[in-house]
Amino acid sequence: MTPADQVTPAQALMEAAQPIHAPPTSFWRKYVFSIDHKVIAKQFLWAGLLFLLVGGALAMLIRWQWAFPYRPVPVVGGLLFPSSGGAIAPASYQQIFTTHGLVMIFFAVTPVLIGCFGNLLIPLMIGARDMAFPKLNMFSFWAFLLSQLLVLASFLTELGSAGAGWTTYTPLSTNVGMPGLGQTLVVAAIFVTGVSSTMGAVNYVTTVIRLRAPGMTWMRLPLTIWGLWLTAILNALFVPVLGSAALLLLLDRELGTQFFLPAAAAVRGGGDPILWQHLFWIFGHPEVYIMILPAWGILGDVISFFSRKPHHWYRGTVWAMIVVTVLSAMVYGHHMFLTGMSPLLGEGFMLFTLLISAPSMLIVLNWVLTAWRGSLHLDTPMLFALGTAFVFGVGGLTGLFLGDISMDLYLHDTLFVVGHFHFTMAAASFMGSMTGVYFWFPKMFGRRLDERLGKAHFWFTLLGLTIVFGGQLLAGYAGQQRRLFDPFQYEFIRGLRGLNRWTSYFAFALFAGQFLFVVNFFRTVFSRRARPADPNPWRVTTLEWTSTSSPPPFHNFDRIPEVVRGPHEFSNPDVLRLTGRDFAGQAELLPGGGRPAVAGGKG
Amino acid sequence: MRPLPVAAALALSLVRGAAAAPPRKEGYGLPFDASADGFRVDELIHFTLLAIAVIFVIVAGMLLFSLVRHRRSHPARYTPGSKTSIGFALGFVALVLLAVDGTLFMHTIVDMRHVFWNFAAAESHPDAVRIEVQAHQWAWSGRYAGPDGKFNTQDDVVTLNDLRVPVGVPVVVQLSSVDVIHSMNLPNFRVKQDAVPGDVTRLTFEARTPGEYEIACAQHCGPNHYKMRGVLTVLPPERFAAWLRTVEADARRAYDPEDAEAHWGWDWRTR
Repeated sequence: MTPADQVTPAQALMEAAQPIHAPPTSFWRKYVFSIDHKVIAKQFLWAGLLFLLVGGALAMLIRWQWAFPYRPVPVVGGLLFPSSGGAIAPASYQQIFTTHGLVMIFFAVTPVLIGCFGNLLIPLMIGARDMAFPKLNMFSFWAFLLSQLLVLASFLTELGSAGAGWTTYTPLSTNVGMPGLGQTLVVAAIFVTGVSSTMGAVNYVTTVIRLRAPGMTWMRLPLTIWGLWLTAILNALFVPVLGSAALLLLLDRELGTQFFLPAAAAVRGGGDPILWQHLFWIFGHPEVYIMILPAWGILGDVISFFSRKPHHWYRGTVWAMIVVTVLSAMVYGHHMFLTGMSPLLGEGFMLFTLLISAPSMLIVLNWVLTAWRGSLHLDTPMLFALGTAFVFGVGGLTGLFLGDISMDLYLHDTLFVVGHFHFTMAAASFMGSMTGVYFWFPKMFGRRLDERLGKAHFWFTLLGLTIVFGGQLLAGYAGQQRRLFDPFQYEFIRGLRGLNRWTSYFAFALFAGQFLFVVNFFRTVFSRRARPADPNPWRVTTLEWTSTSSPPPFHNFDRIPEVVRGPHEFSNPDVLRLTGRDFAGQAELLPGGGRPAVAGGKG
Repeated sequence: MRPLPVAAALALSLVRGAAAAPPRKEGYGLPFDASADGFRVDELIHFTLLAIAVIFVIVAGMLLFSLVRHRRSHPARYTPGSKTSIGFALGFVALVLLAVDGTLFMHTIVDMRHVFWNFAAAESHPDAVRIEVQAHQWAWSGRYAGPDGKFNTQDDVVTLNDLRVPVGVPVVVQLSSVDVIHSMNLPNFRVKQDAVPGDVTRLTFEARTPGEYEIACAQHCGPNHYKMRGVLTVLPPERFAAWLRTVEADARRAYDPEDAEAHWGWDWRTR
């Protein structure tokens, strides 16, 4: 360790740029209108987890409908659907699947994966005292909370919430199909959450570029930061596209403009409904990578940490993630193969879609090769990381069918699509989030979650997600279409009643199993008896574990660290000889003249 | 009436009916394929299934091996990846890209250009059947051109949720919508196409097996989306011709110039 009074010139510069401020003392400044990135991260975590529960409950209603259409929903049915005797009616059903998708994507996974981990980890892992724009960060959270309130308010309107599907295709989502105030409120919520995401994204991009600690070169960044940074770039570029589309739709709904209303008999407009799909998917396809890149980054680090082995071909993973980020903007047309698009355009989108499988597969192989010949420590975060790799693998492979136009002719709009994107966007993003929650919980709350409950939660989640979404793949393979109030109206789906029912039973078990996490989480956060965590309980290398306490002080680092090596310095024989440990912190100076005995940063 | 010939005729029609009935329309696995070209989709699906199974077994197998053999007690190797391991990863990806993605791409380009999106070839067939379908909340209206071969004229045949086509000739459907976006799905023919208001989209297929099949709406189009079900009946050519003669006669009698709602047809889109 450097003696406390020795500061390199680079460190002095960063210290001067980020002086230590006194922590706020008033309750409001400390916990509510906080500009501390760690507090804002927790605010996003609470808001996201709460809506995860809402989205999950909505999913249970959908599963009930597919298992027992027309039958009253037990327990909550009478309360939720009094006018139909407790059973779900078609108009309620379309609101349920629409808001399930929107809540999960925009108001549950995004705040946890990006809002929480982006805020918590970017400053801590790059060695900064806070975000580049702390106030913007606060506005980002409060805008997000406003959008959540708009969604909740939409349920209280006369005709209920939005019902045009999470994709909000026009003209169904205009006044022609959805005249209610609920749809307007939800479109407004999408716009507002877009503003929130954009503010966050600008902040993340700037922070990573400007505030990396001295010595934290791009190729020494933890993969988590790479994932969050690339996500932030995609957010900054493409969320505004969604925002403008939502604004145009609001104008169509409220002021009678006709951007998305075509010249058809019952609509009589002068616009183009397909324009919405272009705008939506220009955002929408990068969005699926927005939701998976942070998880990829977390996995890249966590699998290395718990295999006690450097990440396999770090540079390859970084470049693969960059290539995916670039390609993600060029594949969106595969959502629109059947809209009557020009065949040449369709073929181009198919080509890029098939190409994007290459870097994605390289990333998965790098995880596997990281674990290969490692020393696997199967703690809860590692279990969740490996589970994420598994479900993402299944999701990625089933994507091959859908990127191909011929097979899409048959599989488009079936539950096969639903199963595929639930494996990637839902299962992988959710388990990736959980990897992060279990792994960084000690850093956030200064306590350890219970490992036994965590492992039970893992098995419930992994098996549950795999069986439920596997059941959807099977149903879709047999032709079952998505979004059907009563799928069994169709003869060709009638034989799948048993499959749907069993899938629903497992979905109910999966949902129930999540309460293991809820119990574990609340007990640890609020109980006085919970085990306090030491600064580095997982014995890993990155700055948030090796250069500060758990939880870190308001100013994160007493001294801004000088980084000397990459994030995955594990099982180095030299380090073991000098320190007796199998890891070396990113800013740790090893005994022997204060110079790093290990170069190891290149990876 | 003599009982013997009647019984014989009945038996014959039963046998014919049984032979015409598709073997299986519900249950697991891909639905019955009643089309001439659906096998192209099915073969590609089977190929892809096999390919991803192989990839999955290899990659998951490696992970499983690590999980069993490289546990806590196994000393970790200090390596960021060797030339061999990086070469393995790149080679594996390249192999999959060429062998799997490449095969999919080439097959699909050929199938799309020659069959599924080749409307010119389908229309050039002398006996090609042309149908205009107008989707609306929540039903399918069909329109046949009638004896004059022109759409939106007095002799058009108009049907509701009931399309009939003959076996063995290409069928070309032009689709539109009056309200929101719908999608015409023929699962037993492995084709699907969106019906977009303000636009005319196209779909082509050729039926192989007579029988009754379902037309489903694949695009969420409002609360009663699930009820938007039609029937596509595939008939032997002579029975199709007979049906067409009957409905054409009905159409002439039923024509009402005042009924503007019924005149939704459009000039056949030629390119």
